[in-house]
Amino acid sequence: MNRNVAALGAIVGAVLVISGVAGLAGCAKKAGETLAVTQPKDAGKLNIYIWSAYLPQEVLDKFTAQTGIKVNFDTYDSNEALLEKLQSGVADYDLVVPSDYMVRILVAEKLIQPLDHAKLPNMANLDPRFLDKDFDPRNAYSLPYFWGTTGFGYNKAKLGALDSWQALFDPKNKGRILMLDDMREVFGAALKSMGKSENETDPAVLKQAADLLKKQKKLVATYNSGDFANILAAGDVDIAHGYNGQIAEVVAKEPEKLAYVVPKEGATLWMDNVCIPGKARNVENAYKFLNFIMEPEVNAEIVNGVSYASANVPARKFIQPEILNDASIYPSDEVIGRCEFLEDIGDTTTLLDQYWTEIKAQ
Amino acid sequence: MSTPADAPRVELVARNVGRLAPVPRPARPVSWERRLLGWHSLLVYLFLYIPIVILILYSFNRSKQTAAWEGLTLDWYLRLFHNDLILRAVKNSLIVAVITTVVATVIGTLAALALARGSFRGKGATQAALYLPIIIPEIVVGAALVTFFGVAQMRLSLTTVVIAHVAFCISYVAIVVRARLAGFDRSLEEAASDLGAGPWDTFRRVTLPIILPGIVAGALLVFTLSIDDYVITSFVAGVGATTLPIQIYSMLKVGVTPEVNAVSTLLLLLTVVLIVIAQRLQQDPTAQGGIKK
Amino acid sequence: MPEKKRRSVAAYFQVLPTWMVLGCFFLLPLVIMLVISFGQRGTYGGLKPIADLGAYFGSGEFLANYRRSIEPLYLSIYWRSLWMAIVTTVLCLVVSYPIAYYIAVVVPVRFKNLFLGLVVIPFWTSFLIRTYAWMLILRTEGLLNTVLLATGVVDQPLNLLYTDFAVMIGLVYGELPFMILPLYASLEKLDLSLLEASLDLGANKVATFFRVTVPLTMPGIVAGIILVFIPSIGQFVVSDLLGGAKSILAGNLIQNQFAVARNKPFGSAIAFELTAVVLILLLAYAMYTKRKGQEVLL
Repeated sequence: MNRNVAALGAIVGAVLVISGVAGLAGCAKKAGETLAVTQPKDAGKLNIYIWSAYLPQEVLDKFTAQTGIKVNFDTYDSNEALLEKLQSGVADYDLVVPSDYMVRILVAEKLIQPLDHAKLPNMANLDPRFLDKDFDPRNAYSLPYFWGTTGFGYNKAKLGALDSWQALFDPKNKGRILMLDDMREVFGAALKSMGKSENETDPAVLKQAADLLKKQKKLVATYNSGDFANILAAGDVDIAHGYNGQIAEVVAKEPEKLAYVVPKEGATLWMDNVCIPGKARNVENAYKFLNFIMEPEVNAEIVNGVSYASANVPARKFIQPEILNDASIYPSDEVIGRCEFLEDIGDTTTLLDQYWTEIKAQ
Repeated sequence: MSTPADAPRVELVARNVGRLAPVPRPARPVSWERRLLGWHSLLVYLFLYIPIVILILYSFNRSKQTAAWEGLTLDWYLRLFHNDLILRAVKNSLIVAVITTVVATVIGTLAALALARGSFRGKGATQAALYLPIIIPEIVVGAALVTFFGVAQMRLSLTTVVIAHVAFCISYVAIVVRARLAGFDRSLEEAASDLGAGPWDTFRRVTLPIILPGIVAGALLVFTLSIDDYVITSFVAGVGATTLPIQIYSMLKVGVTPEVNAVSTLLLLLTVVLIVIAQRLQQDPTAQGGIKK
Repeated sequence: MPEKKRRSVAAYFQVLPTWMVLGCFFLLPLVIMLVISFGQRGTYGGLKPIADLGAYFGSGEFLANYRRSIEPLYLSIYWRSLWMAIVTTVLCLVVSYPIAYYIAVVVPVRFKNLFLGLVVIPFWTSFLIRTYAWMLILRTEGLLNTVLLATGVVDQPLNLLYTDFAVMIGLVYGELPFMILPLYASLEKLDLSLLEASLDLGANKVATFFRVTVPLTMPGIVAGIILVFIPSIGQFVVSDLLGGAKSILAGNLIQNQFAVARNKPFGSAIAFELTAVVLILLLAYAMYTKRKGQEVLL
């Protein structure tokens, strides 16, 4: 009996020791790093809540070196998770990065605060094409961070050049299609293929779209919002509905085999934006950080690290040419012109959810 | 009340609990049955470990994608040690798991003891309450907890994560230990106390050895649950309280790199080392006490 | 000796910490969710403010979510989840019993914890990575097909990933320790002399197993079934990854309501309904065993 207790105690003790050591190692490393640079006196901290891999650590380190502000950041994987956290009222973040439609919701729920443009001189660097959008008129609450499109990647060596959503509904591609596991995006693709808007609220039109998707279901190998690019690259599917950034990465590795396209009928234009929560406690530091990431060189460093397009004009001088010239990351005006933002459709969400359930349940 | 003079008699009972309680006797299953069981178990262990082997293999994969194999490299391990996010997540996960295991095991065992032996008002309600965490889907538990913390104005942090984990893990321990206690013969305890042992002594030397395998099983279960919990944790984690599962899931959208495989492999190594150490301790004659073989 | 039914003071203290933790951090939050389940989704996903509470409750409108959740579309989803959970549990039981028996009875005492630990260790790695590993194994060009083709068992690769088969493997895999551990806890105290006695009295091995071993280890079996069956009803990640997210189970449904549809009231209603059903089943089982005079194992 005592052996078992001793064994248990040993395990618990060893784990505690090791996590303690790991923790100390982490602290020692941090202490070492900060000692290496002469620090302005302690300027407080900044808590950022952001999409995963949206912020290279080097940029944060540079910010800390320059201002002395310690940055903590946590990541989330969906807008709704962000909403839930902010709604609780007890999350402690100073900067968040919601997508377009979520900004409107956060404003309506009074969870983010208006931005004082006077404190953001670097705003002048921002591309006017991405300012003053419907979801946040005059950028009262948000500034663009990254933007992109939701088209599809495909195996052009096998299928030739594709340019229409019809390919995703074509029985020839049965079992070789991947769709995002995202109700709005999937309906968006269906609606666009029907020549309608992705923000359609007419129940009759939505029913048509739902029927189209129900027919499509047997052609779909899998619905997946995380790994779509890898699945395409691995050859498990020939067509993958997905966001441009990840697909562009795998296309760049095999440019003769894969391609990305924004279909001629149009697609989703998405934008992730920085906002300051209403209950933020380090507001001044948040403003400092916002100005910092809008500096051209810093912004370029972020883009180069992450391969998504930013809305910063002077930063283009410093962005790697492979990224700048990649039409999937920085598409032409014409392509942008045929895309639209997803808007919150209010109470119609319930109807759409009903259809989505039916599609998945059959 | 036990007196010093009673000590030898208590000792006698304690030493012989092993014989009074059911133990496997030399009559073991016949050899062909044993072989069959052995083969089945081997297959099950293989089934359990094949994905693990693959996981480890791909931590050495040069390719960033999970499918294509592009040759061996230690890159990901090296990058891991500079990946502050993952290291912090590992630390958080371990701290939460250890604290949760200790606290939940203690509370759950006590509850199981009370349910199995005592007769008290509210017994049925306690049983029902203990089942709820298992029945209610995690997402509802998570949403409920974060709403509650909001109402109670408790700032989200690592502490809220530990609280949440303990809350839903108690039940697992209680159920497993309860199963172990089924058919528990109270006469053993009564014999001990008749012989003069106090309640704590009785517990420590009579009851505890009998239920210990159940407690160990329950504790292992809780550790497993806590270290890999995603849904509930994602709701209640605060600033800097990211645990490993959350970190990994958040990398999902931009592609999970083999660094994750690397950290899983290292954690695996750690646990194997710990288990071996524990095993050695068990075999160390100087660590024995109480029950004679 | 029959158990004396004395009120045990000690028992109150023993359950106190449980009630403190569960009461405060579990039951209370759940009551909040229950109240929410009677509400309606607001335009942006919060709660719709209700002007006249009296009329709302009086007219029975507060049960709207519950009424919606028993529409045929949703009933078919519950049925599918239930069926999947039953199959998973049965498979788990069949696979787990022999290995639990092996560790509890055959393995020497000094190695038992080691073997037990080996069962659990794989589950201390990330669930996501383990599931990805299964995807690698089951893919058309994955490990399993490679082996099957190489050994000539099949001449065309089998389409295993994104099917119900893959989901079942993933589910059983994930739930094994939750069946093995309780079974072990119960089997470990099995008194083999009783089995010997049964054989001596003329019963064959099969009869002995079903009429002596199984009843004696019933507590472990019941515990294992509960710990596997119930969470299986609400799971959804495995079916999303290994099944290609092509089916919708109760877990997906609730997840969708909370995450995408931002309809917490409806999601909570579904969850509480499922909870009620399971509680009723457990209650029925408890009453059944009590009536038969057996010890209630819950």
